[in-house]
Amino acid sequence: MDVLLRQVRQGADGGIEYQDTELAAESLSVGSAADCTIQLLGEGVAPRHATIRGAGAQLSISCFRGCKVAINGTLVTASALKVGDLAEIGGNRLRLVEPPAGFEAAIEIEANAQVDASAYEQAFRTTLDETWLSKRMAAWVLAALVLLLGFLVPLVSIAPQRAGHAPPSMLPSDHFWSAGPLIPAHELAAGQHCSSCHQQLFVHVQDTACHECHKSIADHVQAARLAQTKLGPKLRCAECHREHKATVSGLVVRDDALCTDCHARSDTRFGSLKVKPVTGFTREAHPAFTVSLLKPAAKPDAAGLIDWLPVREPITSAREQSNLKFSHGQHLDPAHVTRTSDGGALGCADCHTPDADGEHFVPITMQRSCGSCHELTFDPDAPERVLPHGRPRDAILLIQDYFARKAVDPTPVKPAVQRRRLPDEPVIEEVSCSGPAFPCAMKRAQAEVENQFKTRGCASCHNVNDTHAADLPDRFQILPVRLTRDYFPDVHFSHKLHSVQKDKSGDTACLSCHAVKQSKSSADVFIPDLPKCLDCHSDRLTVDRVTLQCSSCHSYHPTTIIARTRETEVQ
Amino acid sequence: MIHESLLRYRGARYSWWALGVCIASSLLYATQGGRQEPGGGTWQGYVLGTAGALLIVWLALLGVRKRRYSSGAGSVQGWTSAHVWLGLALLLVATLHCAGRFGWNVHTLAYVLMCAVIISGIFGVYVYLSTPRQLSANSNGLARAALFAELFDLDRKGRELAGKCDPAVNTAVKSSIERTMIGGGVTAQLLGLDRSLFMRADPQAGGAGGAIVVANADQQAVIDDVARRVPRAAKRTEAANLQALIVLLCRRQAVLRRIRRDIRLHAWLRLWLYIHVPITIALILALIVHIVTTFMYW
Repeated sequence: MDVLLRQVRQGADGGIEYQDTELAAESLSVGSAADCTIQLLGEGVAPRHATIRGAGAQLSISCFRGCKVAINGTLVTASALKVGDLAEIGGNRLRLVEPPAGFEAAIEIEANAQVDASAYEQAFRTTLDETWLSKRMAAWVLAALVLLLGFLVPLVSIAPQRAGHAPPSMLPSDHFWSAGPLIPAHELAAGQHCSSCHQQLFVHVQDTACHECHKSIADHVQAARLAQTKLGPKLRCAECHREHKATVSGLVVRDDALCTDCHARSDTRFGSLKVKPVTGFTREAHPAFTVSLLKPAAKPDAAGLIDWLPVREPITSAREQSNLKFSHGQHLDPAHVTRTSDGGALGCADCHTPDADGEHFVPITMQRSCGSCHELTFDPDAPERVLPHGRPRDAILLIQDYFARKAVDPTPVKPAVQRRRLPDEPVIEEVSCSGPAFPCAMKRAQAEVENQFKTRGCASCHNVNDTHAADLPDRFQILPVRLTRDYFPDVHFSHKLHSVQKDKSGDTACLSCHAVKQSKSSADVFIPDLPKCLDCHSDRLTVDRVTLQCSSCHSYHPTTIIARTRETEVQ
Repeated sequence: MIHESLLRYRGARYSWWALGVCIASSLLYATQGGRQEPGGGTWQGYVLGTAGALLIVWLALLGVRKRRYSSGAGSVQGWTSAHVWLGLALLLVATLHCAGRFGWNVHTLAYVLMCAVIISGIFGVYVYLSTPRQLSANSNGLARAALFAELFDLDRKGRELAGKCDPAVNTAVKSSIERTMIGGGVTAQLLGLDRSLFMRADPQAGGAGGAIVVANADQQAVIDDVARRVPRAAKRTEAANLQALIVLLCRRQAVLRRIRRDIRLHAWLRLWLYIHVPITIALILALIVHIVTTFMYW
């Protein structure tokens, strides 16, 4: 479109001046902005006010939003223009005139003569408020986004999730409310469903949610015992186990306050429960140790059997009742006992094999620990004949069978090598008997059985009950051996970690805590007491001590067995 | 300086308040431990969180206080000084509240928004302290309206003078006046961009009015164009007119520079508010969501 713009203004001399500008453009912009094709100043003129478009000789004007133009005196927002029309914007007049030859349109522009400097300033966008920047709009948009994506969308996703429908992965779910990642195990089990733990909105996570998976976890204190104290209701699991901290160390409380919050004031707050106060790990702050020993019940149970129960005793007065005759002192003295393999002195590890857990030891058994030295032969003439261990009745029958056979065997086999008698071994005279072979054999057998169960053999290690029953196979009872496997069943202690200490290792390390060399009796207890631990440990960070926390040795949740024992005690 | 007293208001009284808040928060934080790790879930965490939330609400109320000219609740200057100092203290209070634990969640969103508000506020304090001096140095204490009045006057004189010159000069000067660009969009205001144009007579364009539109940044092109014509002036009066026109255009150039710098400085003075205010609103929403969701799933 070729357009002639003719500016009409009053000259300095009072005459009319024209200034023509020729344009070839698709459209003409009208407004106060300096880059408009037709720049008009004055009150009410927007920087971009309107656009004049042409299709051939036909022109039309359309205003931007919020602007108007008076066409022949009528305010409109858009209009077609024909020759002779007058458009007024802010006191400026645009008149469409007959285009001269070579032009498709011609516009006479008569600028508003009353324009002042302030209108001139308004022609420009001179503050940020006049740009696209908008505090209000930005505030609305951001607030709406936060509310929608941060709250409403996750909120709406809760119900479908609880009904088992996975929320769309593109949209934020209630995971967006998570205060932090779960520990990996919880993430695996329940991470996708907040409602696994947060079962009710605005209600704390309840223990029932925990027990759905942790079925066997035992309480620290039985409800019946807790009721005797002034400690109030049981803590919720989540009061100690704070999830959403990503690490197990964040989930499990290790601080001493876990124990001392209650146990420091056990004298006043535990009611009728008698528990010594603990405030730390020093001689004054921690009670002396008590060991758990197996002791026979005073009375037999309904079936007539004597039950063995763990009994706690202070270390200083503790006595084992294992029914085993044994002297650590003797066994560790090379003058008395040497290893059969190399003739060296016995060491701790010859009998005590550490268990895989690093805390305990493989149980002592005849076969594993004693059998290599203590043979179960009974007749020097037949060293290949061995009594069955643990089955006294069978052993007696075997002796009887042996002597019966010996009495009637026409070709007794003499041993190739005569075993030397040990110096302290009493000389057993063979019972002289004259008469029929079988009664004599039984007489000899009885003598050997009494010898085994009363003098040597079984009786060397075992306490034997002679019932004086008429029937020999039922006469002797070996009292059951009950060795304590764990003196502190509710405490953890790693022998493995203590196998090397400062300048000690091997048996020296063992003997530094367990002074067994002086022991003469199997009743002696060699478990070290608190002061021994304090030689190397402290509850505070100090230079020459390894720091211990309560949780280094104690567990809050008892093991299932301990929990059952405690239940029994409560009953 | 009035703006310096923003921080030093009444002997920096509120800096001591802020320091007190910081020390109290730190001491409270240090008492955490025992059965629970430091964090928002301990009672100390709840106290710090409540203090932080109340601080945020109070800090946001500055926007309300500023609009109540007749309020008797302290001077706006005092409020602003306290706003700045306590806003800085809030950063520590909120960090201690969350114990430095962050994640991709609505809680950290609130923290990040708070940091964005505080950082934009720090920038705001910086421009409030540094810009007014530059503004008054630029305009000699004149208001922008006075600069525009001067420009308007120069434009009128320029048009008159140009009318007395030959058509090419007339077109050039009048078009340079009409096509002077001031301000504009966000970048134009912030960077002081000048996209002014003018119509230079171009023989190749043909016709008596033949002209092409060329750039006229800082009005230098039109001044050069007029200056080039001075030696070619046929008459002494024409040369004198052109000389006067050059002087006028140069005065105009100087005024325009001041106006543009004034716009640029004012734009920077206000820019941070376009971040500070909307994000404050978003922060308050995020804070509410943080509190509500914490108690929904606790």
